[in-house]
Amino acid sequence: MIHLGLWLPLLAGLLLFIVPSLGRTFAIVSAAVSLAIAVVLFAGYGGQGVAYASQTPFLPEVGVYYAVGLDGVGLLLWMAVSLVVLLGVWVAEVPVRFLALALMMQTGLLGIFAAQDLVFFYAFFEATLIPALLMLWFYGGPERLRAIYIFALFTLVGSLPMLASIFAVRYLGGAESFLYTDLVAHPLSGQAAALAFLGFLVALAVKTPLFPLHAWLPSFHQQNHPSGLADAMGTLYKVGVFALFKWAIPLMPEGFKEWQGLLLFLAAFGALYAAWLAFSAPDWKTLLAYAGVSHMGVAALGLFSGNMEGTVGALYLLGASMVYGSAMFLFVGLVYKRTGSLDVLPARGLARHTPALYVLGMFLLMAMIGLPGLSGFPGELMALLGAYQVSPWLTFLAFLAVIAAAAYALTAFQKLFQETPQAQAVPDMDRREWGFAAVTVGVLLLMGLYPKLFTVYLEPLGKALAALFGGAS
Amino acid sequence: MQETFLLPLIIALPLLGFVLLGLFGKRLGEPAAGWLASLLVLGSFLLGLVLLLQGGARWALPDWLPGIPFSLHLDNLSGVMLMVVTGVGFLIHVWAIGYMHGDPGYSRFFSYFNLFIAAMLVLILGDSLPVVFIGWEGVGLASYLLIGFWYHERINVDSARKAFIVNRIGDLGFLLAMGLLWSMFGTLSISELVEKVEAGGYSFTTLTLAGFFLLVGAMGKSAQVPLMVWLPDAMAGPTPVSALIHAATMVTAGVYLLVRHAFMLHDDAYLSGLIVLIGLLTAFYGALCSLGQWDIKRIVAYTTLSQLGFMFVAVGVGAYWVAIFHIVTHAFFKALMFMTSGSVIHALGGEQDVRKMGGMRKYLPATHLHGLIATFASGGLVPLAGFWSKDAILAYSFEYGPWLWFLMLLASVLAALYSIRWYVLVFWGEYRGKEHPHESPAVMLWPNHILMVGAIGVGFMGLPYVIDYKNFIEPFLTKAIGEFPHEKLPVFTEWVLILTSALVAIAALWWGFRFFQQKMPAWYERFQAAALQGFYVDALYNALLVNPAKGLAELLFGGDKGILAGFAGLGNLMGGLGSLLARLETGALRFYLAGFVLALVLLVGWGVLR
Repeated sequence: MIHLGLWLPLLAGLLLFIVPSLGRTFAIVSAAVSLAIAVVLFAGYGGQGVAYASQTPFLPEVGVYYAVGLDGVGLLLWMAVSLVVLLGVWVAEVPVRFLALALMMQTGLLGIFAAQDLVFFYAFFEATLIPALLMLWFYGGPERLRAIYIFALFTLVGSLPMLASIFAVRYLGGAESFLYTDLVAHPLSGQAAALAFLGFLVALAVKTPLFPLHAWLPSFHQQNHPSGLADAMGTLYKVGVFALFKWAIPLMPEGFKEWQGLLLFLAAFGALYAAWLAFSAPDWKTLLAYAGVSHMGVAALGLFSGNMEGTVGALYLLGASMVYGSAMFLFVGLVYKRTGSLDVLPARGLARHTPALYVLGMFLLMAMIGLPGLSGFPGELMALLGAYQVSPWLTFLAFLAVIAAAAYALTAFQKLFQETPQAQAVPDMDRREWGFAAVTVGVLLLMGLYPKLFTVYLEPLGKALAALFGGAS
Repeated sequence: MQETFLLPLIIALPLLGFVLLGLFGKRLGEPAAGWLASLLVLGSFLLGLVLLLQGGARWALPDWLPGIPFSLHLDNLSGVMLMVVTGVGFLIHVWAIGYMHGDPGYSRFFSYFNLFIAAMLVLILGDSLPVVFIGWEGVGLASYLLIGFWYHERINVDSARKAFIVNRIGDLGFLLAMGLLWSMFGTLSISELVEKVEAGGYSFTTLTLAGFFLLVGAMGKSAQVPLMVWLPDAMAGPTPVSALIHAATMVTAGVYLLVRHAFMLHDDAYLSGLIVLIGLLTAFYGALCSLGQWDIKRIVAYTTLSQLGFMFVAVGVGAYWVAIFHIVTHAFFKALMFMTSGSVIHALGGEQDVRKMGGMRKYLPATHLHGLIATFASGGLVPLAGFWSKDAILAYSFEYGPWLWFLMLLASVLAALYSIRWYVLVFWGEYRGKEHPHESPAVMLWPNHILMVGAIGVGFMGLPYVIDYKNFIEPFLTKAIGEFPHEKLPVFTEWVLILTSALVAIAALWWGFRFFQQKMPAWYERFQAAALQGFYVDALYNALLVNPAKGLAELLFGGDKGILAGFAGLGNLMGGLGSLLARLETGALRFYLAGFVLALVLLVGWGVLR
C-alpha cells in the first residue's frame, strides 16, 4: 500500500505529461486515489513507531536500502501533501502538463516523509527540485530566469554540504548502513558532529526557510504562475523543519546543541522580521512568502527548544501551514482570475461582487494568522509553551509577530475586499471553487478544533526528541 | 457539580445560529433571521440557568493537546457572566431586529452577532486557558467583523482593523502568560492552577510576572489606558454592536479574566497597586474625554471606558465580587444608555451629532424615560443599580486608602456629569435638527423596558451590610472566586460614606443639569477642544509608534533585498559562482545601507537576547 501510494503520483504524472489529452479529470482521480490511500494509511496506524516499514537492499555493498515507512509526523505531512495536491489540481486553472508536474512532485514530497534511509531521503529531497524548477521555467512570469537562478543556486549550493555531511555521519559515526535505525544508533559526537550538523543545516535552512537563507523565496513566489498551484507545491516543499527533526537532530544531537543558541535566535528573529516587513509587501504573493517565513520561524523556534511541547508544536504547525499556506496561494489564484492582478494597491472592494469569496478569504486569513480554533493555533501554542521554557525573551521577540501578522494580513485584505467597491462586476465562486472552499474550511476547522487527532501521534515523537537532551517530558 | 454534555450545548446553540444564518440567512430573510438568532441566545440563557440552579457543571475532553484538556466549567462566577451575556445579549438581539430593519446585510449581521455570543460563552466557560483564549480571540474576531460591518466605508474598516491590532497587543500578553504558567506549573487549567498556587514552592516574583502578562491581556480587551484607543473608534459599528460588545459584555472580559485569577492577585500588593493605578487613569481619562464629545455614541463609549476603570479599581483593591457586581449593573444601564441613543439615532434618520438633537423628551416619551433612568443609574443616583455597585467600590477603596476613596469620589462626580450632559443634550432644550422624530417600534421599546427595570432593580442584590437586607451576590460569587479576608468598615464610617456618595451624586447631577443647559463658558470650550481629540493620544501614538513601525517595515523590506545582494557579494568573493551571481547585484546603495542596518540590528539583538 505504501509503495503504491508513493509511486502512483509519479506514474500518473508521467503518463499525463506524455498524454496530456487525458485531461484534468485524470489528475484529479490520481490525486483523489492518493488521498484515499493516505487516509487508509492514517486510519490503520497503530500509534507507535514506524508503521508500514519495508526495506529492500538497493546498493547493499555501500549500505543503501530502499527503505520506507511512516511514523506520526510522516503520516500527518503525507496527508497534508495529498490533500493539498488534490485541492490544487481540483481548483487551479492551468495547462494539463502543469498538473502532471505537480503530480510528479507529489511523489518526491511523499518520499521525503517516508524515506527511512538517508541516501533515499537525499535523493527524494533533491529530485523534488526538478518538477519545481520545471514549473517555474515553463509557466513562470517574465523574470522567471532570474528566479530560477536564485532558487537553484540556493538549493543546489546548499545541498552540497549536506551530501558531505551524509557521508560523514555514516562513516565517522560507524553505522553499518544508511538506514535510519542504524544511523540513530551511532550518533556523531564532538567537533565532527558540530560540523556535520552545519552541513545539514545549510541545506535545510534553505528549505525551512530560516532567516537569512529565505532570500530566494520572494522571487520564487513572485515569478511562479499566478494560479498559485506552483506556490502551493512550493509551500509543501518547505520540509526543513521536518528534516531537521527527523534526521539532523537525532543523528547529531551534540552538533545541534552546539548551534542551538544561534538557531533559536535566528528562528525568533526571522519570525518577527518576516512578519514585520510583510506589511510593506507590494503584492499578495510576496506577502504570503514572508508570512510563510514568519510561521516557519515560529515552528523552528519550537523545534529548536528541544523539548516535547516545542517539537509537537513545530511539527503540527508545519502540517497546518502546509494546508493553510497552500490554500492561501490557491485562493489568491482565484482572486487573480477575477482581477488580473495580485497587487495590494489600489483598493478593489471586491466583496460587493463576491461575498462568498470574501468569506472564504477572511476564513483563510484568520487561519493563517493563528486565530484560536483554526489550524494554525494549536501548533503555535505548543511551540510557545516549548520555547518559553528555553528562552522567554526570544519567545517574546518571536511572538511579537502575532501583532505584526494582524497588521499585514488585515491591511492587505481590507484593500482587496473592502473600502470603495469596484465598479466592474466579477463572478462569485463557481461550483468547483465551492468544493475547494468546503474541503479547505472543513480541514482547517478540524485541525484547529480537534488537534488531538494528530497530536497523540506527535507526542511520543516529541518525548523521544526531548529524551535526547535529557528532558523528562 | 455534574459532568454533562449540555454545557458545550450552551455554546453550540449560538454557534449553530452563526453557521445557519451565514449559509442560509439570505433565504430566511427579515425578520426570521433576527428571531432565530435571538431565540438561540434565549435557549442558551435558559439552559445555562437550569444548569446553574442545579449547582453548576463541568465538561472536558482530556488531552486536547498534550497535557492540555479542552475543559469547560460553569460555576457561580461564570454563571453570573453567562446570565448577563445571554440575558442582556438576548434583549439586544431583539432590539436589533428593529434597529437593523431594512439593512442589506440583515442576516449577515445576526450571523456575526451569534458568533460573538458563542465566542463570549467559550471565553466565560473555559476552564483551560487555551480554551479561554479561543473565546478571547473569537470575540475579538466578532468585534472586528461587526465594527467593520459596513465595510464599504473606509473609516469603518480602519476602525475595525485598529481594534483587532490593539487587541492583539493584549493577546500577546495572554500568550506569554500561558507560556510562563506552563513552565512554572505544567498545567493551564485554572482549577489546577488554583491548587498549585496555594501549594507554593515557586518564586513569587515569577508569579507576579505571570499576573502582569494576564493584566496586559485584560487591558487590551477592556480598553484600559494605555490600550484604550480602539474603543472610541469601535463606535463605527452598528449601535447594537456598541451596546452588546463594546459596553455590556466583551469589554468586561478583561475584568472577568482578572477576577478569575484572583488567587494569583490577592496577595500581590505590587500588581494590585498597578491595577488600581490603571483603573484610576482609565476612569478619569474616559470621563474627561466623554465630556468633550459631540457624537452621541462616542459620548457613551467614553463613559464605558470610565466605568471599566471603576471595575479595574475594584479588582485592584481586592473587591473581586464587587467588580463582577458592577459588570452586572453596568451591563444593564450602559446597554440601556446605548440603546436609548440608538433609538434616538433611529428616530432622527441616522443623525449622531448631539448638536443636532435636543428636546427629544417631547417627541420620544418612552425613549426619554429610558434615557432618564439610564442617566440616573449611570450617574449613581440612589437607589438605582449603578449607585450600589459604585458605592461598594468606593467603600473598598476607602479601606485601601482614604486618598483612593477621594479620587474615586471625584471620578464618580465626573460620571454624574457626563451622564447628565448626555441626557441634557439629547432630551432637554429645544430640538435643533430638521428631521421628524418618531418613536421606535415595539420590538425596540420592549427590550429597553426590561433593561430599564434592571437598571433600577439589579442593585438590590448587593446592598451594603449596614443596611439590613441580605446581600445575595457576595456570598454567591465568593463561593467561586474564593474568600479573601478583609476588614469590614465600622458601621458609622460605612454610613458616612454611603450618604456622602449619595449626596455628592445628587449634587453633581443637579449642578450638571443646570450647567449643560447654558452656553458653555470659555474655559469649558478650551477643555472641550482637547477632550474631543481624546487629549491627542491617537496623534501621539501615530507619531511615536505607528509611523515608525511602518517606516521600519519599509526599511526592512528594502534590507531584505540587501540580503540577496549580500549573498551575491559573497559569491563574488568566492569566485567560481561569481559571474553567475553577479546578475543579482542591483548595485542600489539603499539596499546595502538597509542591509547594513539590518546586520547591526541583528548583532545588537543577538547580544542582548542570548
